[in-house]
Amino acid sequence: MSPAARTATLMAFRDQRRRPLVLVLLVLVPAYVILWSVAETKPTPRAIELDGDVWVRTTMKALHGPGMAGLMVAFLAALLGVFVMRSALAGDRRLVVAGFPARDAVLSRLLVLIGLTLVAVVVSALMLGLVLTPASWPAVIAALVLTGLIYAAIGALVGVLLDKLAATYLILFLIMTDLGVVQSPMFHARPVAFAWLLPGFPLDRLLYDGAFSHTFNAMGKLLLALGWLTALAVVVYLVLRRALGTRS
Amino acid sequence: MSAFALTSGRFVREQLRAPLTLVLLIAIPVFFVLIFADVLGEFSKALGGTLATQSATAISAGWSAAFLSGTLAFFMVSSSRAADRRLALAGLGPAKVALSRIAAALALGVTVTAVAFLTLWLRSGIGHPLHALVAIFAFAAIYIGIGAVVGALVSDPLAGSLLVLAVFSIDAFSGPQMTSAASGVGTYLPTYHAANLLIAAGGGQGSPAADWRGVAAVALGALTVALAAFWLAARARSPR
Repeated sequence: MSPAARTATLMAFRDQRRRPLVLVLLVLVPAYVILWSVAETKPTPRAIELDGDVWVRTTMKALHGPGMAGLMVAFLAALLGVFVMRSALAGDRRLVVAGFPARDAVLSRLLVLIGLTLVAVVVSALMLGLVLTPASWPAVIAALVLTGLIYAAIGALVGVLLDKLAATYLILFLIMTDLGVVQSPMFHARPVAFAWLLPGFPLDRLLYDGAFSHTFNAMGKLLLALGWLTALAVVVYLVLRRALGTRS
Repeated sequence: MSAFALTSGRFVREQLRAPLTLVLLIAIPVFFVLIFADVLGEFSKALGGTLATQSATAISAGWSAAFLSGTLAFFMVSSSRAADRRLALAGLGPAKVALSRIAAALALGVTVTAVAFLTLWLRSGIGHPLHALVAIFAFAAIYIGIGAVVGALVSDPLAGSLLVLAVFSIDAFSGPQMTSAASGVGTYLPTYHAANLLIAAGGGQGSPAADWRGVAAVALGALTVALAAFWLAARARSPR
C-alpha cells in the first residue's frame, strides 16, 4: 500500500471513529434482533433440503438464528455501503482534484467499508453462537462474510448511482425480497424457481449448509458467491473511479 | 397559491426529484402486501403469535407505511436543515417552514397509505376498510414523528438510518402481531394500538375504544413531535 493510501485509510477510519453511534448501532441492532427473534420463535418441526439432496429435520427456532444473522449482516453492510460511498463522493472529489490519486482514495474507502462490515459480521456471528451451535463454523463464517461483502458492494453501487432516499428504499426492497422471503427455508423447504437469479441464493445455501450439515456440500455455491463478489468488486471499483472524475 | 401550499408542493417535489423514489414508494407497499403477506401468517405462528393469515396480510401494509414514512421523515429533516434555515431567514419563518415540511411528509405518507390500503383491499378484502385505512395511516404518522425526531438529533445519515432501522426492528419484532409476549413491554411500543386496530380490521372485527384512543394519542403526539423537530431544524441559530 502506498503512503498516500495508508494515510487516506487512517484518516477514513478516524472519520468513522468520530461517529461512535454508528459503532454502537452496529452492535446493538443485530444483537437485539437475532436474540429476540430466536427467543420468541417456537420450536416447530421443519424439514429443509440442503445442497447435495440432503434433507435435514430441524425446527423453525433453529432456522431463525442463521436467517436473522444473514439478514442483519446484509442490511447493515448495504447501509454502510450506501453511506460510506456517498460521503466518499462528497469529500474525495476535492482530494482527487487537488492531486490525490483516485485509486488510493477509492482503496481507503473500500477498506473502511470492509472493516465496518466485518464488525457487523463478528457481532452477528457471536449472537448466532449464543442461540445455535452450527455444524460447521467455517462455512457459516464464510457465508456471513460473503453476505456482508456482496451486500456492501451492492449498497456502494446503489449509493453512488442513486439519491440516498431511493438507495435506502431499494436496498430494503432487494434484501427483503432476496434473503427475507425468496431464499428463506422458513418459508420454502427447497429453493424456489428463479431463486438462483438473486445474489442471496449461494449465500443462504452456504449458510444453511454450514449451520446444519456435517458434510460440506456447498462448494459450488461458495464458488458462485465468490464469483458474485469478484464481479461486484470490479464494478464498484470502476464506478467509483469514474465517479471521482479522474483517470490517475 | 399561498406560500404555504407552494412550499409544501416544492418540498414534495424535492423528495421525488429522483423518479425511482416515487416508483419505490408505490412498489414497496405493493410488494410487502402481495408477497410478504403470503408468508407472514406462518412466520407469526412460528414466533408464537396467533395471527390469522388475513390479519398478517393487513399488518404488512402497516409495516411498509411505517418504514417508508420513517425513513422519508428522517432524510427530510437531516438533509434539509441548512436550506430550511435559509428559507426561514428569508422571510418564511421557522413555523411556516415546519408546517410545510410536515404537510409534505403527510402528503407522501398518505400516498404510501393509499397504495398499501388499495393493495390490501384488492388482494384479500378487508372486513372493516375504514378502520384499516385509519390504522395504516397511523403507522405512517407515528413513523413520521420517529423519523423526524431521529433527524433532529442525529445529522449523520448512516447513524440516523441505522437508528430508524433499530426502532423499526424493535417495534416490529416485539409488537402484538409477532409475539405472545406483547402483553408486557410490548404494550408501550409506538405502534401497539395501531397494530391491534389493523389486526382486528384485517380479521373483520371492530376494536375497543381503548385502542382508538391509544392510536389517536400516539399518532397526534408523533405529529406534534415531528412538527417540533422540523421547527427546531429550521430555527435560526444565534451567532456564537
